[in-house]
Amino acid sequence: MARQSQPAMSRALQRRENVSGYLFMLPSLIFFAGFVIIPMFICIFLSLTDANMHGSSMFGNFIGFANFVKLFSDKTFLRALWNTFLIVVVSVPTVCIFSLWVSSAIYKMHGAARSFFRIVFYLPVVTGSVAVTVVWKWMYDNYTGIFNYVLKGVGLIDKNINWLGDERFALWCIILILFTTSVGQPIVLYVSALGNVDQSLVEAAQVDGANNFQVFWKIKWPQIMPTTLYILVITTINSFQCFALIQLLTSGGSGTNTVMYYIYFTAFKLTEQAGHFGYANAMGVILALAIAALSALQFRLAKEK
Amino acid sequence: MKSGVERVSAYKVISIIVLIVLAVLFLFPLYWIVTGALKTSADILAPRPVWFPTEWTLDNFTRLFDRRSATLFDLYIPFSSLFSSNGEPILLLSGPVVPAAFRWLLNTVFMAVVAMLLTCITAAMAGYALAKKRFRGRAIVFGLIVCAMALPKQVILIPLLKEMALLNLYDKIWAVIFPTVGWPFGVFLMKQFSESIPSEILEAARIDGASEFKTFTTVVLPIIKPGIGALAIFTFINSWNDYFMQLVMLSSNSNYTISLGIATLQAETSIDMGILMAGAALAAAPIIIVFLIFQKYFTQGITMGAVKG
Amino acid sequence: MKKRILAMLLAVGMILGLAACSNGTQGSGNTPAGNSGTPAPTGNQSGEVTEITLWTYPIGNWGKEAEVNKLTEAFKAETGISVKVEYLAYADGDDKVNSAITAKGAPDLIMEGPERLVANWGANGYMVDLSDMLDDTDKAEINAVNPGTLAACTTADGKVYEYPLVMTAHCMAINLDAFKEAGADQYLDLENHTWTTENFIKAVEALYAHYGETVGAVYCAGQGGDQGTRALVNNLYGGTFTDAGHTTYTWDDPKNIQALELLKGMDGIDFDASLQGGDEIKLFYQGILKMAFCWNIAQQLDPNAAGTGSGKTINGEEIVFMSFPSETGESALQGGIWGFGVFDNGDPAKIEAAKKFIKYMADSEHAVDAVKTANYFPVRSAAEGTDLSTIWADNEIMDQYQVLMPYLGDYYQVTTGWAGARTEWWNMLQEVGRGDDIATAVANHAAAANEAAANASAG
Repeated sequence: MARQSQPAMSRALQRRENVSGYLFMLPSLIFFAGFVIIPMFICIFLSLTDANMHGSSMFGNFIGFANFVKLFSDKTFLRALWNTFLIVVVSVPTVCIFSLWVSSAIYKMHGAARSFFRIVFYLPVVTGSVAVTVVWKWMYDNYTGIFNYVLKGVGLIDKNINWLGDERFALWCIILILFTTSVGQPIVLYVSALGNVDQSLVEAAQVDGANNFQVFWKIKWPQIMPTTLYILVITTINSFQCFALIQLLTSGGSGTNTVMYYIYFTAFKLTEQAGHFGYANAMGVILALAIAALSALQFRLAKEK
Repeated sequence: MKSGVERVSAYKVISIIVLIVLAVLFLFPLYWIVTGALKTSADILAPRPVWFPTEWTLDNFTRLFDRRSATLFDLYIPFSSLFSSNGEPILLLSGPVVPAAFRWLLNTVFMAVVAMLLTCITAAMAGYALAKKRFRGRAIVFGLIVCAMALPKQVILIPLLKEMALLNLYDKIWAVIFPTVGWPFGVFLMKQFSESIPSEILEAARIDGASEFKTFTTVVLPIIKPGIGALAIFTFINSWNDYFMQLVMLSSNSNYTISLGIATLQAETSIDMGILMAGAALAAAPIIIVFLIFQKYFTQGITMGAVKG
Repeated sequence: MKKRILAMLLAVGMILGLAACSNGTQGSGNTPAGNSGTPAPTGNQSGEVTEITLWTYPIGNWGKEAEVNKLTEAFKAETGISVKVEYLAYADGDDKVNSAITAKGAPDLIMEGPERLVANWGANGYMVDLSDMLDDTDKAEINAVNPGTLAACTTADGKVYEYPLVMTAHCMAINLDAFKEAGADQYLDLENHTWTTENFIKAVEALYAHYGETVGAVYCAGQGGDQGTRALVNNLYGGTFTDAGHTTYTWDDPKNIQALELLKGMDGIDFDASLQGGDEIKLFYQGILKMAFCWNIAQQLDPNAAGTGSGKTINGEEIVFMSFPSETGESALQGGIWGFGVFDNGDPAKIEAAKKFIKYMADSEHAVDAVKTANYFPVRSAAEGTDLSTIWADNEIMDQYQVLMPYLGDYYQVTTGWAGARTEWWNMLQEVGRGDDIATAVANHAAAANEAAANASAG
């Protein structure tokens, strides 16, 4: 990516590049700066204050890193941080592996069958997160949900499982919903990536006596690497967008709190807590730092490949 | 060799069976929404699940539509609040009073389409500049974009809300659209895409004396068109599915989106599953239909996006 | 094909763009009265208000658009002021109001109880003092029904942030047919609608012996309906939730721990962290749960969408409202007082219009309709000469329900740090439910609630 080795441009040319570059960037930068960067800076600033919704001034008093110190002894927050981490760490690899498996099973199929499966796995994505959440809530219901009904019917369990009310299950139930709404796009991507793998290389390897696993690992995997990286990025992004699931299913109870929900909760539910805006923003800063580190890591990986 | 073939086909059979089971599981929630929306209350409230409606009914939809009403649209004279006598905008024309769900759908379509168009335009330009223009500060901008890409909106929730209040955009659909457009994933995607534009062509266009803008529209755009398609789909679906910004930014019934409307419904009535399913069906139907009709373009578009991932 | 559709979408987009582009702070002028197309008359340079906004929680039928429209239309016909109503849900209504306040988009009027209007938004300076609306006659009329009402609507320094309209006592309900089938109806005093803790235990034992399943759920998925779980726990052995002066939370009272231990140990009672009050009611209607702790007269009157009629489950079983069990049978029921508050958005004309609305709904002959819409009891004996004490005389259920009103307990919801305390409460129930040490969980969460309250009053 780095092309610093180019011969130095003339100053006139550099100016021309600058001007046109900035002009092309401008529309996007207005939105990016206005609705992401500036709020982010305000967020960082507020995280160092005891701002709350009741204060007459927008910014409370400067209190240094007190919010952060408090956060790291706040059990609810630490639990939420752990859950957020767990969701990402579990869902990203499973989504990748699962969609790769489905794709390799369907990409050689007859056109109609392939389309069918592609559509089926993509449908939860277009159903919309709220609609999906509402129906899953019903399916998970402790007393009238179909999961308990079916599992009891086939004799796998003999007492109803309180899916969303039991700490042992609730977070996994949410990860499962997230999973069904996340695999659609990766499958579509992998199907086409696998279809584009250079067949002559595959055949040559087979002639040389390579088995299926070897063909996959040595020939196909490197060729679909860019797709995999892209999928990693979008799945990571997706995993951080699970707010609706938490808010509508458990309100952060049953051990399913995430930082994303806890920020909202602190900001607008716990309004009587002193300095709650500052506190919520401090959580935001920590989350942002973690995500920036994760993104940087992903890009380091991407560059090496 | 022979046993190898047999093993492969056994594996194939098993994998197809597993796939079919999975397909059923993935389709089931949708089936449950659709049948739930058309079941009678007795079926829905029955202590045991009723797999197939004993009687079909549109009752749930009737209740949903009777519940809240709104005008279909309201046309205001743009910026009229700046000069009207009481500081309120001047209403030009109001649509008929219809069930609020239709207004929500219209709001959602508007939001998703505008967010999509704005994102595509701004991101295509910015992505091209980042990939092909060696302007100063480029590395910093790109670094910021990468870091901000996965940032959940909850992080900047409070500043954003205050900002919208300041811009007088609270409780307006624009408060949801603008942050979506500002989200830098599109720029990133278009940058990756624009890398593939051969520099020689750009050079040739410049030598021919084409202006920067003309080069962009006649040379660059045709090359990155598939990427724009991918971004358009991605943005459209994302903004249709987004719920958080709507929850925080919108407060009047007539400004709700369909997701927010359904979520509010769930908050109001956990007793009436039928009305909830009817709402969910209504929320899901338009985009599923669009998806099924343009399925080919969808998959093509999405795929194109990853060629240069 | 593709282009045409895109063009169409664009066109629709542009039209709507115009629509969304220049709405006032309160969004589009969607008056339910229809005919919202009439622009504001220009002759009101005196600052006369033509529209106010009301946000209402689902207080009986005040959550139903069709019912509320009747009231607002009548109000408009008399005063020329149209009311734009937004309906809030208990699950996320507070969040909405709080974010609206943050964004300076609060409504003119809000309808809810003192815990929000007085103790929260009022105490934080967002509301208008309504004490000038209450003269001595008004006070006498309100005190004639319940002397606690005015106190709950007034802050310590004498500011009235809620103009009360209706009140009730929250209670619980049982499925009488199921009780009869299990032979548990012998433990109920059906005439007085009361029962003792001892009989409650026996009844649950009998029900569990008969059904072998959960018959009652201590729901704790969130704060929704927590007045039921609080009243249940407090009454079993006579514990308290706050002190009498409403300054500290006292639910770490050993009597409450005893009650929680009892409930936790009972077969047939389940701590369910997947349910909120509304979900519990649904299961009760379905006949799955045999008792509901989240009940009041509005539900008894107008049960559900299944169209079962008053006081019946969907299988047609009879629902009977009951007081919460206590050692003597005489419980302290959790009260509900609902009324109007006015947000101070800096526009005196709007505040005046909002007050006009309150006067119309709560203190005039129209109060009868406003109260009846809420499905609760009027907070006052009369309003401007109209007798309100007999408005429910023709309704047998309402009439019967009067037997519970004397048990109305302390209105402790106005204690500082209320929102935080509610959060601590349901989190505590979840911990008890999952098997944590009860005394520890109670102590921790009560302490956290008190700490938050102390911080809140300090800040």
